[in-house]
Formats: sequence, C-alpha cells, structure tokens
Amino acid sequence: MTMSAPKPGIRRRGLLAGAGLALLLSAAPGFAQDLSGELVILQWQGGTDAELWQKLEADFIAKHPGVSIRELNITAQGDARGGIRTALLGGETVDLIINTWPAFRKEMADAGILRPIDQQWTDNGWDKVLDQSWKDLGSTDGVTYGIQYTYGDRSGIWYKTSQLEKAGVAVPKTWEEFTAAIATLKAAGYATPIPMPGKYWAHGEWFETLLLRTGGVEAAAKLAAHEIPWTDEVVKTTLKKYAELLKAGCCGTPEQMFAGDWDWSADQIFKADAGNFLLIGMWMNARALNDYKLKEGVDYNIFQFPALGLGHDDTSSVDAKELLATANGANPAAADAFMGYMVSADATKILASYGYASPSKNADPALLGPAQQTATAAVAASKVQFVLGDLLPGDLVDEYRVQLQKFLQDPSDANIDAVTAAIEAKAADAY
Amino acid sequence: MQETVADSAKGATANEVSPRGSERRKLLAAPRASGGWRLGDWPAAWLLIAPVIVLFGIAVVFPLIDTIRLSFFDIKGLAKPKYIGIGNYLKLFADPAFRNTLTTTLIFTLATTAISVTLGWLLAMLCAFAPRRTLVFRVMIFAAFGISEAVAGYMWIGIFRPDAGGLLNTVIGLFSPGFSHPWLGDPNTALWALIVAASWGGVGLPLMLCFASVQAIPRTVLEAAYLDGARPGQIMASIMMPLSLPGVRVAIFINLLGALRAFDIIYIITGGGPVRATETVGYFMYRESMTQFKLGYGAAATGVLLAAVLVISVPAIIQRTAGAR
Repeated sequence: MTMSAPKPGIRRRGLLAGAGLALLLSAAPGFAQDLSGELVILQWQGGTDAELWQKLEADFIAKHPGVSIRELNITAQGDARGGIRTALLGGETVDLIINTWPAFRKEMADAGILRPIDQQWTDNGWDKVLDQSWKDLGSTDGVTYGIQYTYGDRSGIWYKTSQLEKAGVAVPKTWEEFTAAIATLKAAGYATPIPMPGKYWAHGEWFETLLLRTGGVEAAAKLAAHEIPWTDEVVKTTLKKYAELLKAGCCGTPEQMFAGDWDWSADQIFKADAGNFLLIGMWMNARALNDYKLKEGVDYNIFQFPALGLGHDDTSSVDAKELLATANGANPAAADAFMGYMVSADATKILASYGYASPSKNADPALLGPAQQTATAAVAASKVQFVLGDLLPGDLVDEYRVQLQKFLQDPSDANIDAVTAAIEAKAADAY
Repeated sequence: MQETVADSAKGATANEVSPRGSERRKLLAAPRASGGWRLGDWPAAWLLIAPVIVLFGIAVVFPLIDTIRLSFFDIKGLAKPKYIGIGNYLKLFADPAFRNTLTTTLIFTLATTAISVTLGWLLAMLCAFAPRRTLVFRVMIFAAFGISEAVAGYMWIGIFRPDAGGLLNTVIGLFSPGFSHPWLGDPNTALWALIVAASWGGVGLPLMLCFASVQAIPRTVLEAAYLDGARPGQIMASIMMPLSLPGVRVAIFINLLGALRAFDIIYIITGGGPVRATETVGYFMYRESMTQFKLGYGAAATGVLLAAVLVISVPAIIQRTAGAR
C-alpha cells in the first residue's frame, strides 16, 4: 500500500490551489459555516473507543456550534452487525454509520440504505487527502460509500519488552526464529508463550496472516470470494504451518485456548506476565495505553509477523473503519461535514492521541507512538489484504471460526482435511 | 417439631372453609344465582377485559403469528424476504449444528430442572421443620432467583475462571496445590459448569413452592403422625414429601419451561462455545436471527422451540385446570 506523506514547504501555486480549494469547500454544503440541526450517529463501540468518539464529536461541535450530535448506541458483544441491522430495520433514522465490515457495506448498499459519496469525494476535496486505494476500499460495485478514517495492522505481534529481555530473546524476524523464541520462552518458565484467544474469533488472526504469507493477497482474495475452495492446497498448507506452532507447545491446551477471548490473552501477557505474544489489531495499543497504563515503545511494542520464506512475506492483513452516510438521514449537510472532519488534521490528532493511525494526508505520523509508527511503516511497505473474517458472508464466518476451533483441538493432517471440507460444505451454500 | 405443628395449624385453618372463603364463593356464584349474566352486563364485561385482550394481542399473539409467518421466508441480512414454504424447517433438521442443539437442550433442560427442583424440594422439607428460624436462609436462596441472569453469569465466570484465581480452582487448589482447569474452555465440562450456574439461580422458586405445599398440609395429619411416634425422618418421607407433590409438579413445570428457553446465562458465560458444546435451541435461535440475521431460519428454530414448550405446558395446564369449575 502506497502511503505518501505531505510535501514540506508552501509554494505560490500551492497557495493559490489552497485558496481555490478553500473557496470550493466553503461553497460545498458539507463545509458550510451555517450548519445546524441534529446529527445522528449509529454507535456500537464501547470503552476507550467510545471515549475517543466523545472527544471527536465535542471537537466537531466546537467548530460547528449550530449542530448537535446524538449517538444511537447499539449494545453488542462481539459482532455488532446484528444490533445495527435491528436498529435499521426497526425504523431508526441515522445520518452516519460507523462500519468496519466491507461485506456489511455491500449488504446495506444493496438494501438501498446508503448514500453514494462520489460527488462529495471530489467536491469536498477528500481526493486530496486520501489516496485512491482508500477510496477503492470504501467502494462497493464501483460506487463510493465509505470514507476511511482509521486503519490498523492486523499482522503485528504485540509483546512486553521486559519479558523478552529477561529471557534473552531478540525480536524474531523469521519463522524459525519465532519458533525458537517460543522454545526459549517456554524454557524460561512461560508455559504458554502465545495465550491463544480461542473463545470467539481471535484464533482466526493467526490463520489469516499465515494464509497471506503462504498464498499471497491473490489467494486470500480468491478464498474470500470463494473463487478457490477451502479444500485448496494453499489453505491446507497454511493450517500445517499453524499446526507447527501448536505442536511446538505455543499455546497450551485447546481447553485453555477456548477459555478466553483476546482481552483475556492481553491480561495474561501485560498484567499477569504469564504469556508473551499476541497477534491482534491496533486496538491493543489503546488498551495498553489506557487500561494498563504502559508506555508505548518502552514497556511494550510490536513486530511484524515473521517471514515464512514462501515468497509472500511482503503481505499484511489490515482492517479499517469508515463512516457511511445513509440515504434517509435527516441532516446530510452535517453528515458530509462530519465525514470531512474525520480526515482533518484536528481529528487525526485526536485519533493519534488514542493510538490510532489515520489514512489521511493531514495526519502527522510524528504524533503516533513508536509501536504505531512501526505498524504503520510495515503496512505502508506491504501488499495488503482486508481481514478475511470481515469479508466472508456471515453464514460462513461462524462455521469458519468453529472449524478452526476444531483444528486447534486436533491439528493433525487428517483433521485438517476434515476441517477444510466442513468449511467448504458451508461455503458452497453461503455464496 | 412443636413449631411446625403450630405453624401447620395456621396453614390448616387457612385451608378450611372460612367466612372469607364462603363470601368469595357467594360473590362468584351471585350472577348464576340470579339467573346468569344479563345481556346488559356484556358491554361492561368486554370493556373491562378489553385492555388485557389488546395488550395480549399486541405483546403475545401478533409477535407469535408474525414469527411463524417469517419462518416461511428466506431472509438474509437486510435483503428482501423470499417465500420458501417449509424450506427453513427442512434445512433446520438437516443442519448438524441444530441437531446438536437439540441434544444439548435436552441435557441442559433435564439436568437444571432435576438439580433445581430436587435441591429446592429437599431444602423446603428441612426448612419446614423450623420455618421461623430458616426465614433468612429462605430469603437468601430465593434472592438468587431474583438476580439478573447477566449478573449471575459474570459471577459464575469469576468462579470458573481458568487460572488459579478462579474461586473453584482456588478451592480445589487447597487440596491439590497448583490445580487449575479451564472449566468453561473444556467442551466436556463447559455444559456442566453452565448447568450448575443455571441451577443455582433456579433453586429459589422450587424451594418457595414446595415450602408453601408443606405449609398447607393439615395440622391434624402431622399431629397424628407425631402422636403415633413417627420420627422427623419418617414424617418427612411418608407425609411431607408425598403431600407436597403438587408444589413439586408446579416447580418442575416452571423450571422446565425456563430451562428450555434459557439464553441470557449461556450468552454471558460461554457464548454457546466451546465448539458449540453449550449451544441450546434458544442460543441457536439468537445466533441465526441476530448474529447472522437469517431471520426466517431463526424463526423456524423459534417454531421448534415453541412446539417443545407447548408439548410440556399444554398437558400440564390441562391437568392443573381439570378439576376447576
């Protein structure tokens, strides 16, 4: 993914272009100064993320005093899509929806719930601050619906620096170094160097990055679209790599893996000092900063998934969050203004303070902490693929996660055949 | 025992024909005695009953009929529904995940009912020997019945925590140092852990129902047994337990229905896992309807659950009302 940084210095031509853009933006409805009325945002995030949103909304209101913001809160554990669907089908009218699932965007677009924003993209100058690749990521069937405001590396492994230092383990760069590090950490007294979060979905993270590193983004994209079957050799090879970790005693018993979700695993590493590695998204950064009060880059850090040497080590799994405007929202002008605000310098500053990277060229990378900078640089240097679980149809993703649990119970070749056949049987019905 | 007899005497008096009881019967019989309902009474009667009928229609009948209607449609996410007749039901019984939930539901329902009612019944018998002294104890047990299942669920997660910090592991660790077992992560123990948690909350109601049944036993029966030299154990086994069976039947009926429809505690404690080991029909219905938003398919599962509830409740209701006039 190409992530170009803003060029330093201001030249006359740039100044004139800026003035022209400002004139254009002031004429555009989204940036009009006389914005007013209520803006309703469908909110499903909790904890630190909800706090972040309160700050973003307060900053927006300070800039547009005529606008008030109401959050329509969805209470959800795990996948929030059910709650969002219930709200929308129940007749709730909102202006903006926070979304992180491309498959769900398509579902909403097909149902006529979303408002295309191609016009706003150029009129409001969003094309100046977001690369085409981000526009493509927010598009469904050639129509742009989403403006991406944050993204995260899903192929980064979090660790506590003191643990590795004490055990004399250097940050592993290759698969061999990684498996050797697991052996060293086990010898140092860590029974489960990877406290695998297998209760709901997070055990899929290892499969997804291993898949990318085994078959590349092409294979992962084809699998997501079911253009290759789940019984394909690339999937089986991926699971065999995953099995190498399990056979090395990385993660405890299946019963231990099924007992907790990713937050449990994080507690095991960063609070209980009972584990070492966690492959999870960038929200771990917010948790480490705000919940554990650890110092980024000092107490904890991140390294990119080790190289497998199968020809696809330049790949990374990413996620992103976007804002979608609804077709029936009562305040489209304020909705557009808020979408524009989310890629502004002020919003990216607030995002950075919570440890989140922004794809906007207005973002100052220097504001990000060391771990986030490492992850951002790794993504920028990678061929990226959106996280697989969010691309699969809802029907299939559940079976995929349960079958991966069965794989964790028995990572033998025979069971790999059984597990992939079971996912394929479901996939045949899901598309 | 003296206290029991005294208290039982109060219960017996309450059950005998009292002036208040006879007045009530007179009042109930009054319209019939004066030639039955008059035509002019009907508007007032309908007016009085109308709010209940309207509310019942809105809150129960309409959602029920609409759910059954939905079960004949293929609905995926926000897409438009497609009529597929009994397709969802055929698919449901061919779905291994659903068939698995039927077994899990059966085990969960029977086990929680058996544990809750047996414990509740035995505790009621014991409490009946000293009703006043056990009042606080009964209130405490019944309070568990009133606690939100979500709150209870989080409490039980703390008890079953997989590390040595979990209460259960700590207690076992006193006898076996270093012991730790992931009770909720092990498919072989997760369902039983869930059954224990659900049963804990379910003991209060059988206790109160059975206790009320014991209190209703006529004083004369207990006195006769006492005078004949029966020991407390004999009185309990031969008099109190058989005569409290009506209360036990009601408790079984209510607990069976509650266990059959269980959702909250499963959602909080295990989320149906691991590897679907604790997924009951109620949870399956939620997963299909709300997580995957296959409303038609989920509605078909609701239909099956409804049928199971009717199979249990209709005979019980008929049996309970057979003697009523």
